[in-house]
Amino acid sequence: MTPLFHLLAVQAADPEVIDRIPSGYSHFVIPFTIGITFMLCWIGVGCIRLLAAIPQSDRLKFWKSLFLPKTIIKNLKDLFGDCLLHVKIWQRKPLLGYMHSAIAFGWFMLIVLGHIEVALFVPARLNVTRGGLFYPIFYRYFVWMNPGHTTLRGSFFFFLMDFFLLYVLSGIALAMFKRFRSIVLGMRHTTKPSLADRVALYSLWMIFPLRLLAESFTADLSGGSFLTVGVNHFWHLLFGDKLWFTPCWWAYSICLGLFFAAMPFSRYMHILTEVLWILLRNAGIQPHHPRKGVAEAEIYACSSCGLCLDACPMNVQKKNLKYSSVYFIRFLRRHNEKKINAIADKCLMCDKCHALCPVGVDAPALRRAQRATVNNSLPYDYSYLPSACAGQLSEQKVLYFAGCMTHLTPRIIKAVDRVFKAAGVEYAFADRDGGICCGRPLMLAGKTEAASKVIEANKKLIVESGCDTLVLSCPICYKIFKDEYHLEGIKVVHYTQFINDLIASGKLKVEKIDEKIVYHDPCELGRGCGVYYEPRAALGQAGTLVKASKEYDESVCCGGSLGSLTLDTRDRARISESSLEILLAEDPETIVTACPLCLKTFSEAVSNSRLPRKNVAVKDFAEVFCR
Amino acid sequence: MVDFGFGLVPSSRINLDLFDKDKYEELAAVEPDVRICMACGSCTAVCTAGKFSTTSLREAIEDIKNAQPAKAVEMLQACQLCGKCSMVCPRGINTRHLILSITKTYSTK
Amino acid sequence: MKNNILIIGGGPAGLEASAQLQRMGYNVILIEKAPKLGGHLAKWDRLFPDSVPADEVLGGLLRSAEGVKCFTDTDVRAINRLDKSYNVRLTNGITVLSDAVLVASGFDLFDAVKKEEYGYGIYDQVMTNADLEAYFKTGSDKRIENPGRIGFAHCVGSRDEKSGCRSCSKVCCATAVKQAIEIKQAFPKAEVYCFYMDLRLFGRHYEDIYLKAQKEYGVRFIRGRLAEVSENYDGTLQVKAEDTVAGKPLKVTLDLLVLMSGMRPSASGKAIGDLLEMTVEEDGYFAVRSGIAAGQRSPIPGIFLAGAATGPKTLPETLADARAAAMEIDRYLTEIFPDAKNYKQLVRERW
Repeated sequence: MTPLFHLLAVQAADPEVIDRIPSGYSHFVIPFTIGITFMLCWIGVGCIRLLAAIPQSDRLKFWKSLFLPKTIIKNLKDLFGDCLLHVKIWQRKPLLGYMHSAIAFGWFMLIVLGHIEVALFVPARLNVTRGGLFYPIFYRYFVWMNPGHTTLRGSFFFFLMDFFLLYVLSGIALAMFKRFRSIVLGMRHTTKPSLADRVALYSLWMIFPLRLLAESFTADLSGGSFLTVGVNHFWHLLFGDKLWFTPCWWAYSICLGLFFAAMPFSRYMHILTEVLWILLRNAGIQPHHPRKGVAEAEIYACSSCGLCLDACPMNVQKKNLKYSSVYFIRFLRRHNEKKINAIADKCLMCDKCHALCPVGVDAPALRRAQRATVNNSLPYDYSYLPSACAGQLSEQKVLYFAGCMTHLTPRIIKAVDRVFKAAGVEYAFADRDGGICCGRPLMLAGKTEAASKVIEANKKLIVESGCDTLVLSCPICYKIFKDEYHLEGIKVVHYTQFINDLIASGKLKVEKIDEKIVYHDPCELGRGCGVYYEPRAALGQAGTLVKASKEYDESVCCGGSLGSLTLDTRDRARISESSLEILLAEDPETIVTACPLCLKTFSEAVSNSRLPRKNVAVKDFAEVFCR
Repeated sequence: MVDFGFGLVPSSRINLDLFDKDKYEELAAVEPDVRICMACGSCTAVCTAGKFSTTSLREAIEDIKNAQPAKAVEMLQACQLCGKCSMVCPRGINTRHLILSITKTYSTK
Repeated sequence: MKNNILIIGGGPAGLEASAQLQRMGYNVILIEKAPKLGGHLAKWDRLFPDSVPADEVLGGLLRSAEGVKCFTDTDVRAINRLDKSYNVRLTNGITVLSDAVLVASGFDLFDAVKKEEYGYGIYDQVMTNADLEAYFKTGSDKRIENPGRIGFAHCVGSRDEKSGCRSCSKVCCATAVKQAIEIKQAFPKAEVYCFYMDLRLFGRHYEDIYLKAQKEYGVRFIRGRLAEVSENYDGTLQVKAEDTVAGKPLKVTLDLLVLMSGMRPSASGKAIGDLLEMTVEEDGYFAVRSGIAAGQRSPIPGIFLAGAATGPKTLPETLADARAAAMEIDRYLTEIFPDAKNYKQLVRERW
């Protein structure tokens, strides 16, 4: 028996691998080589064009970011987590996550291990001039394992290669299954594939079964492990010694070639563009145009996976599926101007597709940028603004800004007043007689320049007032005050946070009563500003908080959002109804929200909808604390 | 015919003969809600910009139907798109989109 | 043999129809879910256009319906259609075998709380038309203390897609004018404003009270829908509208705001409609066989409708509708119902 150390020897006495085809070339590699060359050229040119299109300062920022230790760590984390393992999908839909990571990570490992094998056993072949482009891919075809000289190291690689092939095949099997019964993998709707998508999809499906076929035919010559050798024995049993492996390798190569050739025009481009997008995103570069520069990487990073289809609140109606982010991005790629605008205008800007996107594509931001290309140049005249002058606060340091909408839901104003009085908060009511709009609605409509004018005017008034805390009850206002106003030295808080603090510090006494409360996360507050905890903490003190069937970042828009420019009242009512059903999952007595628009929308929906439960109360957050 | 010169003075009367139907249909195709206003004035009453400046969506719609689109576009320039009007409109008109569409359709710039 | 007829709803329509059918010799059973007969009429003080006391009209209706078998505090528990008749189980335990059923379930007043921007239930000085009638009836309401400026907001829950009701409630304009006059009579020094979209004063003498309100009482009519209400520190209200005639936004401080709540289909009527599987139109009111030629016949043979169950109506319209329904029931019970052999064919031809 051979001693163990002999097996482990790095340099075996006799070569482990012998060139079966000394030239290292066979005609069947042509389709693959053409396909991959085309794809690599395409992406190379694309990368250069893209980097040339972004502003000089951004470009500099990008190169620098590649060498900053902090971004390097984040890049590595995101590349592994998002591109290969698809952690974000795993977290929400485990089976779907398994499918994606099986194909992505499995294939990645096959390629890496294939190259390592070549590097170990026939290192010369890695040279591009000696077939480095295709040799590692078709390694098994070109070599012959020297019988009796296989080492443990070799068997280990054989095993790994077979293992990952099986892993990928299981992913492919799930993917095929998903085409017919997507709901099993947790998806109600899936994307409608385009022609290029179909070509790429079917070749992708074929690649790995063909690889198994091809490698199994040659397994008795070039080696293999449990899978390929096993199948090889089966072929021998079936066909005896007559094995036609050349056609299989041809088919395998053709499928690969087809796949790579179709890739730039299909959803599968995301496999590579995603990497670029993650690097650009982590460098902190913002898109300035819906299609050019960084946005191009972003739209090509979309994998068309369709997770945004189920996320989109508009899709309670099938007819609205076509307005989903995935199609928006598809038409951006195709430069279909008319459709792009129609889709951009329809969106409610609830940001859920962004929150659930496995690659973090910020489609709402792209839609806003698209709206800006049309609406930003529309004339406006705010010359009246400077005429509004600021009042000076004497005693009070807390300023309450209700916002436009809240003046149509007086119960919020009244409840805030009662709560503040009960807690002994001295405050001034900034827009008692009406104010200037916060600018967020203009921003959402793409009128960014006009928005900056109202922001400027409002900012002047607030800074001059001399307040130290600005409390907002409208999440739409809160979002823009927090993100765009840059009020130095002034604490900007949403009233859910402010009231929660009042409770925590003992200034506001809350009596807990036996009331089942469900909390609705307003889009701009939850996903928009990340405020999920405070409202729940405070409400938990006042009653029994029950769950909605979707909440936190999966919460569904009430349907009243200002984000959409074109969605009509009927469609909005349908969204409100489905959103209500989600909130009523655990039979609460009260729906509490913290946004004037949600409040009004839900109040109207409860009385107008055809849902059986009409006795549920809709309350504003502050109302709960002044019973 | 003798022209007495009265015709030379520009008339301040609304002249419906000047109404540009094609343009109006173009607007109505983009935002059909322009047809359903019943002129209740709720939009003007709540208007955030209306506090500072003369602006009225009701009047703008009227102006367009009265062949005076330039007045409408001019008036709507003060709009801050805050959306209060859409919340009070008894006909459920998509006011923000209507305002943008009027400006887009009739703006000469 | 006297046919049994069940009348659901003891408001003006139900009372008038019972009186007529009893006169024709039928055996009428009237049920009313409230403890007292009279419906909304019992809660009203005076009626437009002539300011006739509501009690007087109701008294007349009750007198002429005397002798009708009447169950108050009673609702329908279940209804079975037999071959031609209806087997109705009431909540008081009694079962009625009825050859015809008249649904006179009336209307509900729109719940003004739902029109949030007007602040009913939030601001102290906001009331509804029904609250004001109650004040006229009882003479007390803590909101009314020699008000100097009073506003009437027309179309609250009417002609408003946001409240889920597109239709006009028909009676509110005349009611507002009537109440404006009455409040001026009570407080002659008060300023009264009516905010309207269109004044729909279509009936006989309605224009007269409009004229009277302008000429004798100086009520100010402002053509613009009330759109926003806010509260001042002292509890007075600041309301905003557009004076669309002047083409200018307008605001005014009020001591009292009266909301003219419109008519909505009755919720308990809807429950009965569900039991009978009756068709409801998009506006929420019951569908009739034909709006013009057969306004009192439901699509189901043997089920009749009267009053506001088929849409907003004024009181005289309701009473006329009830009489018409009585005639229709009589025609059905004499021409179609007794012919056991040809019943189905007759229903096909004449219903």
